[in-house]
Amino acid sequence: MAAPFRRMASRPLLQFLSCFSRTATGNTGFRQFSSTSLCRATLPTDRVTERASSPWTLMAAVCLQRLPVISADDSPIEQQFRQLMQQMELEKSLLSDHEIRLLEDAERLSRKQSNSYDSDEEEDSRNQDIVLTQDLEDSWEQKLKSFEPAQRVRADVDKDLTSVERCLADSLVLLAEQQVGSEKLWLLPHIQWQEGETLRQTAERALASLPAAGFKATFLSNAPCGVYKYKLPKAARTESSVGTKVFFFKAILSDSGPPAAPDSSFVWLKKSELQQYLKPAYMTKVGRFILDL
Amino acid sequence: MNSLFRKFQVPLIRQVFALNQALTPCRATPSIQNPVWATASVNERQHRDMPTHKIGSWRFLFRKRVHRKKKDRYKMRPVCPASTTAYGTLNVMVSGHDMTVVERYTEYIHNLCNRLSIRVSLCYALPTKTTEIMLMQEQGTKMYVDSILKTHERVVQLRKLDTTLCPVFMEVILKNQPEGVQLSVKEHTEAHYKARFKARPELEELMAKINQ
Repeated sequence: MAAPFRRMASRPLLQFLSCFSRTATGNTGFRQFSSTSLCRATLPTDRVTERASSPWTLMAAVCLQRLPVISADDSPIEQQFRQLMQQMELEKSLLSDHEIRLLEDAERLSRKQSNSYDSDEEEDSRNQDIVLTQDLEDSWEQKLKSFEPAQRVRADVDKDLTSVERCLADSLVLLAEQQVGSEKLWLLPHIQWQEGETLRQTAERALASLPAAGFKATFLSNAPCGVYKYKLPKAARTESSVGTKVFFFKAILSDSGPPAAPDSSFVWLKKSELQQYLKPAYMTKVGRFILDL
Repeated sequence: MNSLFRKFQVPLIRQVFALNQALTPCRATPSIQNPVWATASVNERQHRDMPTHKIGSWRFLFRKRVHRKKKDRYKMRPVCPASTTAYGTLNVMVSGHDMTVVERYTEYIHNLCNRLSIRVSLCYALPTKTTEIMLMQEQGTKMYVDSILKTHERVVQLRKLDTTLCPVFMEVILKNQPEGVQLSVKEHTEAHYKARFKARPELEELMAKINQ
């Protein structure tokens, strides 16, 4: 167990430059995301002289998350409060330039239409008669009517578990069905650690090795966020393998690539739905670091 | 395993903690029995006749605050270098068109840093950039001003960020990012610092004349 920790500690920091943005245009499924690493200088990993051969097999898993795209809907209290605040702000606010111009134009029109109107008495005779503010407002209203925003909640996409674009208001976690021992289980995608690589590189490999997945992700840090120990049943235990230790790394999805085939072995789930798919012991460990914000 | 970590960890020396640790053993032994206050250390109470002299004092527990002089206000604070376990000086830049949302989000990040004991060295605003959106007229080739957009930018400068705390922090601010706000985390360089200053054309002219 000493081996990978030391390796991680001696690896220098990846100084990263990341830019996150929430924009409505572009891909609706996830955020526009760009990240470049400033200097990926890696020191030559010093060979560990005293190597205690540990009986645990080491694995690294990746907890890939898709961040929420739209804000969650307000609860009833929040809606009421929002309306109250808007009303208060409206009552306390001053008139804007546009509204002042509207009033002036209305006043000027009423003065024009009255019988005792003398155009020479007009104080500032700019070309205000050409474009009335009311006309501007009408043209803006027209443009607004012709704009159709996309639907916030689409029920059919929400039910499709393999789609990245489901439940835009929540954050989703990727689960993959992988062979563990003799059975297929739903877990966070993991892969075995190999000699000479850091655990984070193992996690990146785990993500890349998923079948039919063009996921591009940014790993948040070199340090793992959680660990899960699994001891093999007594019958299968030998001297060299007591069990496995899985280290979890967090990553944020930046690009989902082409849409996956419907029979692919991975799903996107909210935290509340994870319980149906994961084993209870696994769920307690994993649930500790998955934030449900 | 702990010993391995200690080798690589940057020692965070806080005088308060050191003083506290040094103080508790001293407080346990009553110093009334040693009236030799000429050789007494800072931690022992110095008294002449009154054993209760200075019993309520607590100001000495604070570390010595060095007040920055007014003329040093705009000098650059030294950039903290990155180590193997912590990132150095980081700039968290929040930009958007809606000023109230941007400012509230910066406030949220600042409060989160205080909660997680991440030292915030500076929190400043960059000047507002105004963008005029011009549209082509439907009849004719003239462009007319359709709308004016203002981009506000706020920066929260963090002094040090532990790598173990980094994913938690990043995830929380990403998940709470409001709509219409762009977030970017960059390392602080001198170029960032210099970009905040206004250009001085007369000085530049004189320098050019000297250099000619």
